[in-house]
Amino acid sequence: MVLRAVGAEVREYRDRPEVTFSWRTRVAPAGPGDLPRIDSEEIPFRTVRDLAPPDEGFRVEVRVVRIAQRTVTVGEERRVVHEGLVADRTGPIALSSWSDFALQAGEAVRIAGGYVRSFRGRPQLVLDERANVIRVEGGDLPNPDQFLRSVPRTIAAIEDEGGGEAVAVEGIVVGLLPPSGLVYRCPTCNRSIKSGICRVHGQVEGQTDLRARIVLDDGTGALTINTGRTDTERLWGVTLDEARRRLRDQPDPSLLEESILETLLGRRLRVRGLGTKDDFGVTITPESIEAVEVDLDAAAEELSARFGEAK
Amino acid sequence: MALREPAWRVTTRELESALEEEKGEGDRAASYLLSPFGARMNRVLLAGTLTPPEPIGRDETQPFWRSRLTDPTGAIAVTAGSFQPRAMAQLRSSTAPRPAIVVGKVHLYRGRDGVGYVSVRAEGIRFVAEADERAVLADILRQTLDRLDLVERLEKDPATAEDLLRKDGLPGLWIRAARESLKRYPDVDRPAFRRELRSAIRRVAGDSGPVASTLPPPPSVTVSRAPPPKPSPPPPTAADRAEESMFLDHLDEIAEGAADGYADLKELLARVAAEGLVSDRAEAVLGRLEEEGVVEEPIVGKLRRAE
Repeated sequence: MVLRAVGAEVREYRDRPEVTFSWRTRVAPAGPGDLPRIDSEEIPFRTVRDLAPPDEGFRVEVRVVRIAQRTVTVGEERRVVHEGLVADRTGPIALSSWSDFALQAGEAVRIAGGYVRSFRGRPQLVLDERANVIRVEGGDLPNPDQFLRSVPRTIAAIEDEGGGEAVAVEGIVVGLLPPSGLVYRCPTCNRSIKSGICRVHGQVEGQTDLRARIVLDDGTGALTINTGRTDTERLWGVTLDEARRRLRDQPDPSLLEESILETLLGRRLRVRGLGTKDDFGVTITPESIEAVEVDLDAAAEELSARFGEAK
Repeated sequence: MALREPAWRVTTRELESALEEEKGEGDRAASYLLSPFGARMNRVLLAGTLTPPEPIGRDETQPFWRSRLTDPTGAIAVTAGSFQPRAMAQLRSSTAPRPAIVVGKVHLYRGRDGVGYVSVRAEGIRFVAEADERAVLADILRQTLDRLDLVERLEKDPATAEDLLRKDGLPGLWIRAARESLKRYPDVDRPAFRRELRSAIRRVAGDSGPVASTLPPPPSVTVSRAPPPKPSPPPPTAADRAEESMFLDHLDEIAEGAADGYADLKELLARVAAEGLVSDRAEAVLGRLEEEGVVEEPIVGKLRRAE
């Protein structure tokens, strides 16, 4: 809807301009033709690092690091959202597009008309049908690989930065947090449920699932890795079906948790994914988890070299 | 809200030479043990050979067990009590010295003579293959050398800017610990410690070498006390064997009737007591059966036949 307002006031609220209608303002319907034309060249360019919620009215030039579509339920409606990661020289930011711009991983684009919101404590660039996307050369934009194969950094550094879109760490498993092991989920919304009661859907027939909250420590700090069924099965070496069988044989869910810890404690893992931070520290939602096999001869040689000698 | 304390990678030698405490402020504040080599520890990660535990403490409702963890630089006491049920169950399942990885909280006890004894209260214990223990030892040695380098860099140039150190990937926590170590231990013999680390590399490479516990303690160590070795028990008599078989009969009977397949320890003790086998004697029988690997207690208070 386009409106014409005469006598509106503009004031500043929290460092941002805000238009206020008052009793003096005359408001009337108008048409799209009445809108002033803003040349997109006039919209200022911003770097990704400077973006913070609730910014809007900017342009960015970014490389699409990855993009995938997902169907979500918004109220009653099922909608397709294109989610991914884009980056410029100053860093990456999550992207969520409610309109299909046929984005492809690896291409460089100039985006106008997006806005920034906070999603799970991290800034996210949101596009809808009003956004404008143009393909560009993007010669000075970073290579996507830089974010997909990030080199592990210290957990202390990731804590200091409050997480990150594509963080990589390597450490040793020192513990497990509850809930880990067999959990029950609501069949409708997939929320984890307690005593057969879903927070939204009330009494439901819970579906079993596996998860683990692994505490990874690299000597500089510790963080939590949330693994879903697939990663938990792979790391633990026990499938969901097997876990259910075990629970039938010995009806004590804490035995399953103990068994996961018994498998993982002291193991070295390299993890990459989205890192978010809250009061309890950093949590990683992993994209990849690998067990690291230490080459003992190489490790011994490297240590000896620090004493200025070859082994 | 405080972040989780990191597990400092330390050798037993560094731990037993850490005698300076730092108490945090406020409610539920963590306390720290400062080492001479740049560690400010609340939680630690250790790798070495863990001996079977012995019970300590007299209160039967508060069981407490102690083992010794030996690495190429020395040995340290590892304890677990009823507040660490998992670690205690792990510890008690051990019947012979085996390679292990231990995560736990450091604890400094000062005797009346003022001598400090460092121990580690285990939060997690895992018995592992030797290669896994050596891999963690490699990590411990690497980070210990990193910290020593940092301490010596700061000793040479105390004014080194923190930004510069952080740019080299050194965490703020380490920098703070290194500065504090220099202040509290001005005269420590770091070259001697480096020599020990250097010989510990042999263990990473697979050469088990002389195990530290067989070596006389080096002169620099004055702080740690090994619990005296227990005299080996006399061989069991026929009467002992009869008690054991009665004990096992009751265990099997309870386990058979239990939903989870375990014999409840309390119920078992009550039954054997009814047959005249009372608390201390019953505990001794249980201890023997566990030692011999006949019975295990995978969950605290729950017994079963070992497989």
